[in-house]
Amino acid sequence: MVYYRANGYNSDMFLVGILSWWYGKGWVDQIQAIKDRLASSADFFSVGQLASTIFAPYRQISAGKVSGPIGVQLRAFLDRTISRFVGAGVRIFMIIFGLIAMLLQIIFGLLVIVIWPVIPLLTVIGLIMMVIGWVPKWIV
Amino acid sequence: MDSIKFNYSSIRTEKARISVIFNKNLLMILNMLVFVLLTCGSIMVIIGSAVGWVLIGLASVPAMMTQWYHGELKHIPNAKNPKTIDDVLSGEVLGRLSKKPSPQEVATIISKLPGGFFFSVRFGIGSKFLQELASPSSDGMQQVWEMALDLQQETASKNISAAILVVSILRCAPNYQTLISHLQLDDADLIRGIEWYNHLREIIEKHRQPRRTGGVARDWSFGWTPLLNRFGMQMGSDSVFQLVAQNDSLNQLMGIFSKNGRQNVVLVGQSGAGKTEIVESFASVLLDAKAKVPKNLRFRQVYSLDAASLIAAAPDRGGLEQLIPQVLGEAYDAKNIIICLDNAQLFFEDSIGSVDITNVLLPILKAGNLRMILTVDEQKFLEISKRNPELANALNRIVVPPANRDETIKIMQDQTIMIEFKNNVTFMYQALVEAYRLGDRYVHDQAMPGKAIKLMESSANYSDNGLVSAESVRQAIEKTLDIKVSVATDTDEREKLLNLEELIHGRMINQVRAVSVVSDALRRARAGVRNLNRPIGTFLFLGPTGVGKTELAKSLAEIYFKGEDRIIRIDMNEYVGADDVNRLIADGADNANSLTARVMKQPFSVVLLDEIEKAHTNVMSTLLQMLDEGILRDIKNREVSFRDAIIVATSNAGADRIREYIDRGYDIEQFEDKFVDELISSNQFRPEFLNRFDEIVMFRPLNKTELLKVVDLMINSVNKTLALQKVSVKVADEAKEYLVEAGYDPRLGARPMRRVVQRAVENTVAKQMLSGTVEPGSIVEISLKQVKQIIDSKLTADKIVEEGKST
Repeated sequence: MVYYRANGYNSDMFLVGILSWWYGKGWVDQIQAIKDRLASSADFFSVGQLASTIFAPYRQISAGKVSGPIGVQLRAFLDRTISRFVGAGVRIFMIIFGLIAMLLQIIFGLLVIVIWPVIPLLTVIGLIMMVIGWVPKWIV
Repeated sequence: MDSIKFNYSSIRTEKARISVIFNKNLLMILNMLVFVLLTCGSIMVIIGSAVGWVLIGLASVPAMMTQWYHGELKHIPNAKNPKTIDDVLSGEVLGRLSKKPSPQEVATIISKLPGGFFFSVRFGIGSKFLQELASPSSDGMQQVWEMALDLQQETASKNISAAILVVSILRCAPNYQTLISHLQLDDADLIRGIEWYNHLREIIEKHRQPRRTGGVARDWSFGWTPLLNRFGMQMGSDSVFQLVAQNDSLNQLMGIFSKNGRQNVVLVGQSGAGKTEIVESFASVLLDAKAKVPKNLRFRQVYSLDAASLIAAAPDRGGLEQLIPQVLGEAYDAKNIIICLDNAQLFFEDSIGSVDITNVLLPILKAGNLRMILTVDEQKFLEISKRNPELANALNRIVVPPANRDETIKIMQDQTIMIEFKNNVTFMYQALVEAYRLGDRYVHDQAMPGKAIKLMESSANYSDNGLVSAESVRQAIEKTLDIKVSVATDTDEREKLLNLEELIHGRMINQVRAVSVVSDALRRARAGVRNLNRPIGTFLFLGPTGVGKTELAKSLAEIYFKGEDRIIRIDMNEYVGADDVNRLIADGADNANSLTARVMKQPFSVVLLDEIEKAHTNVMSTLLQMLDEGILRDIKNREVSFRDAIIVATSNAGADRIREYIDRGYDIEQFEDKFVDELISSNQFRPEFLNRFDEIVMFRPLNKTELLKVVDLMINSVNKTLALQKVSVKVADEAKEYLVEAGYDPRLGARPMRRVVQRAVENTVAKQMLSGTVEPGSIVEISLKQVKQIIDSKLTADKIVEEGKST
């Protein structure tokens, strides 16, 4: 039997609607949300860009061409090499840091996807837990 | 779509009805409930109460509801295969409809929604107006749905929004065209309104999405630029909007920088054409990681150099010549910088606030290694090119044309967001259109869209209760640019125009035909049946001196433009040389009294070209375009509009012939054509010049009876002056006749008579006032004897007349 509330919506539709969305598009959307968050992090940490410029002089310090005697050129080469190593160090650190952060994000995202179908059952689970009467014990 | 039916029970409609329940308050309560239940439940579990689990479990219910709302209900997508109208209706409308909606019910619903509110504020289509217009019968809905579907397709809208339904209901009204014309709108304006609404929604959506900018790697792989940060400003970093016009210029810019070759571009265009906007947009696109940009331009940053701070930091030219290479060198070393020299003329000419450093910049531009964008006013670029052709050849030129009407309106719609935010006002669509119209016509120092935007910004200060209407724009142009554009629209003025002849004859005697010809022209103009691409009226007044030619011009200024001061009088006998054309069209900065400068400032005027026959042929040729198209280009090649002016040229040419014809008993109509032929054959006027006038109006000499009436007018004028002293003058009839006898000269008409009357009447009154015989409130009666005492003989009068001739 279809029952219409005062404002005109169908009460059955409310329950069917929310549950069908929750186990349908809503669940799929969570995957998309994880993808979006990962894309945002990938943009911030720019791992690809860091990897492709890994040995570029850090902030172009001592990166310019130097002309002059061999001694000056050697000095410039040394400076540039140091700059490249500093750059590589900073970038490798950032790549690792970024990858860990994104990995954590993936783990968290997967956890959400796993927990997601359980959420509508939480009320029932809560009732069961109350009936069982289990609560964590704190050892002082 | 199979049929245009509304299915009240479809799943989408049901969901829409549920979504309507989720208002701001409910969402806030649900969120608070989640927080409270979770907190209380957790605390209870921690302190050892198992009831806490129930609270935690219950928190999932409001949490799921808010998730559902944000995930599906807030923006209910259209059905994949629309079959009925409810499949494409926006959720906010759909959720509020009853089983059998009527147009009136829909009007009530949409007036409370953003789309309806948008049309109410921006277009003046209020909810009451819409409700009164809409049919209360549900039978009318079929037509509204059909119209809405057409509009959705026409405007490429995602769904049928409240904005579309406003226009749909309006279009279904039987007297639709009349209704919208009352609001100074047409059908295309309403379509633009829907597009504007859609565009604003898109901007809001876009703004909500996170911006991808390339992250930390972008900065780490490029150099430090401390000097550039000090003397420059990064462009495009705050830009929210996309370029809605001049996309061609943007694509050209992208093309030049993505290929090999000289990596520089000069954007040449009039001030206000949007050159800086193009660079801003270019910079914004490069910073957007999602944009399709050639690989070699990805994450490049555009820095605009600040000429003022560079000049301020360098003690002298030498200092500047050292500083600029340092800054540019830093940009080159950084490897990701594109330098923009906005208003680049500041770097290529010596003036106040600018230093010519061509010798420093030219080698860099010629080498083409450092990417540079220059923006230059087209006139300045011509000057620079003339001075230094090598520089012009070293640059890749992109010409930025002024935006057209549609582009300008779109740009203005984008700009309203910032202007409204800064000034706390709301712009009506009619205000934007008026800003375009008036800017196009009366602002001469900029191109579109700059001049319309300038006017919009000024109008924000003249809002009425925070609403900027077309009237606010008119006020802004009048008060900020000192250009009078408001012509009275009240019924008083209509009355005046209907009785124009009568009103003019209050100041002028006879010349019935002249007055009637001019009055007809003005009525045509006021009724809107004139050609808008010509002046309101162009008249050549021919006739002897002192018959009322100038007086008629003054009357027109007084009656049509509400003031005798609305007359721009040019004595053409000052333009007898071929070179005088330059003086006539001089720039206002050099000569504020030039014809073009005065009309620029006061376009709604009577332009009186006195003694036109004396002007040089070159001057007359220059005036041809003004008479024909209502346009005259000034010395700077700016178009000056004469389309709101009445142009009156006067001439005494052939005055003796007119008198001769009249003496022989002809009426003007009888010899008019013949007389004009005589003027042409005697080489006094060229036929192409005479043909440019709407009407050639002949004034005939006044006879004695008419002159008596002129004397009355003059006495009235004296009385007006004496009104301050609360004294009035009454002249005996025989004294008036004597004044006509003494003051009339067949060659000078009524002109010397004014002096005779003034001397006789004013002298008498002055003497009486000084002797104390006249008190405030009394009437001074002037007899023939008294007049004769002042003008004791015809000889005296002749002297006065002679004075008149010499002046």
